Amino acid sequence: MTSRVREAFRRIAGRRPVTASPGATVELRRADDASLRVRLGGGWRLAERLPRVDEVERELDRTRAPRVTIEDAGLGAWDSALVVFVGGVLDRCRARGVPVDARGLPPEVGRLLAVAQEAPVAVERAAPRPGVLERTGVAVLERYARLRAAVAFIGETALALGRFGGRRARFRSQDLWLLVQQSGAGALPIVALVNFLVGIILAFVGITQLRFFGAEAFVADIVGIAIVRDMGALITGITLSGRSGGAFAAQIASMKITQEIDALRTFGFPPVEFLVVPRILALTAMTPFLTLFADATGVLGGAVVATTMLQQPLSGYMRRTALAVTAGDLVGGLVKGATYGLLIALTATLRGMQAEGSAARVGDAATQAVVTAIVAIIAACGVYQYVFFLLGW
Amino acid sequence: MNVGDDVISVRGLTMGFGDRVIIRDLDFAVRRGEVFVVMGPSGCGKTTLLRHLLGLQEPISGEVRYGDERFTGASPQERERILRRVGVLFQGSALWTSMTLAENVALPLEQFTPLPASSVRAVVRLKLSLVGLGGFEDYFPWELSGGMQKRAGLARAISLDPELLFIDEPSASLDPPTARRLDALILQLRDALGTTAVVVTHDVATIVGIGTRALFLDAESQRATAEGAPSELRARGPAQVRAFFEGSVPGP
Repeated sequence: MTSRVREAFRRIAGRRPVTASPGATVELRRADDASLRVRLGGGWRLAERLPRVDEVERELDRTRAPRVTIEDAGLGAWDSALVVFVGGVLDRCRARGVPVDARGLPPEVGRLLAVAQEAPVAVERAAPRPGVLERTGVAVLERYARLRAAVAFIGETALALGRFGGRRARFRSQDLWLLVQQSGAGALPIVALVNFLVGIILAFVGITQLRFFGAEAFVADIVGIAIVRDMGALITGITLSGRSGGAFAAQIASMKITQEIDALRTFGFPPVEFLVVPRILALTAMTPFLTLFADATGVLGGAVVATTMLQQPLSGYMRRTALAVTAGDLVGGLVKGATYGLLIALTATLRGMQAEGSAARVGDAATQAVVTAIVAIIAACGVYQYVFFLLGW
Repeated sequence: MNVGDDVISVRGLTMGFGDRVIIRDLDFAVRRGEVFVVMGPSGCGKTTLLRHLLGLQEPISGEVRYGDERFTGASPQERERILRRVGVLFQGSALWTSMTLAENVALPLEQFTPLPASSVRAVVRLKLSLVGLGGFEDYFPWELSGGMQKRAGLARAISLDPELLFIDEPSASLDPPTARRLDALILQLRDALGTTAVVVTHDVATIVGIGTRALFLDAESQRATAEGAPSELRARGPAQVRAFFEGSVPGP
């Protein structure tokens, strides 16, 4: 094999540098005075396979040597690998009360071990793992504490909103407008796209099912009512949970972790007023508008399918839709939209404010915010169905 | 190990962002075994220089060499190989917050050495005890004080026994006694591991305490205006460098 080929192989074989020094060797010998001689040779590199201390330990136990000497028997290049090995031998010997003579080693090894042993800090890490009962109890108490915190947060937010009504809440109005723009106008494209697609899906499902009864002309009624009453608001809410909810939680969580929220507090800005109120106002105000827009694009999606599959004229489809959908449906949908916006903003800011610890928690806060918001929205949707049913709408 | 040869050499390095030049025509060399200090007032380009040495930023012109290998313009693979010999302690420690101290130090070892898990644990314990954090293996970075985080960052920087150690503002946001202990630790590790260190700092106590040689970067003239032993520079350097050491505003 030519040297060039060998070089190429070496490069393929691994990312670690291949050193020329031969591998580490350990030779164990009994001296005349019954002491154990540990003779170390060769290169000791972290990047190579290393001998294990266990062999020395076994030999130590087998021979019951009264003394150990560690010697340099032609050491090559070495790094921490050697220090770790020697440190291991010293530990094993100390545990057995066997004196060690390591003067034969390079002085740097001794120096490193000295630095390492300079300040042996005895740290008691957490107590042993608690039993099932204790863990269950701790988990329940934690959940309870979180629930209490959530209720307190909602109460605090309600009070802050009340103060806003009385025009005494403190936040920067430009923050509010920026949020309105970001979570309102900024969300238009994604809301339009998603609802347009939902309209198409509903129309497809509607036509294929209604065809069994020869009633496919009624697809406009199905799509219109489903979108305007529920799906428009629901799909918009779910989209916004990911978009604005995740963003709110991540923003507030990172501000919490970098102590920006503490800074607000020390200046006398209650974070709930400064950060939570504008987000709740912005999202609650903008979601009905987005829902209205979602209704329009959803119906349009249905129209596209109906006009191409059924050759229905667009004007006819729109007329059917207008006949089927009542003003009550429309207003109900918008009220639902506002509710979902409120829920998203509330859960997102709550999760953000609950974040603690490090940068990793920011991601957790965003995940929890999205999950909680989606669950809350669907639950609210169910409640609305029941209430509207009772009211006979 | 032959003392005195150049580990890093920088030739005609001009650095900046876009059209804005920060420092031009920088020439210096770091010799094996020394603690080389890059000093200067805030905003003079100290950290930018460090980023150039690490290849995190590209020079406008000039080059950086490691030993006799070209670093500027080298392929990503070659750079990775060269940087394998380098350890870095970032200004904010930059410990990975989702990992414990042991995991922080172990990650490079698991990635770049064939050591079995038990040996990795032993090496991690050694590195952490070298910086006085033996026993803190299972702590997360945020559970530690600023000084301890710095030391943990140092333990991670030396996990692969680097030939070269880059340290950005070691004393930043540390109280003076803690900062001095960290300085002493850097010297101890240099003596014990034979590491060459490049330290970027504006802390006079650190510069005088551990620097073998120092380079002064001046923001106004955009050049390195002095190079030499810190005590020498403090006593007989250019007026502006002496003023920096004394903490006074340079006169007209």
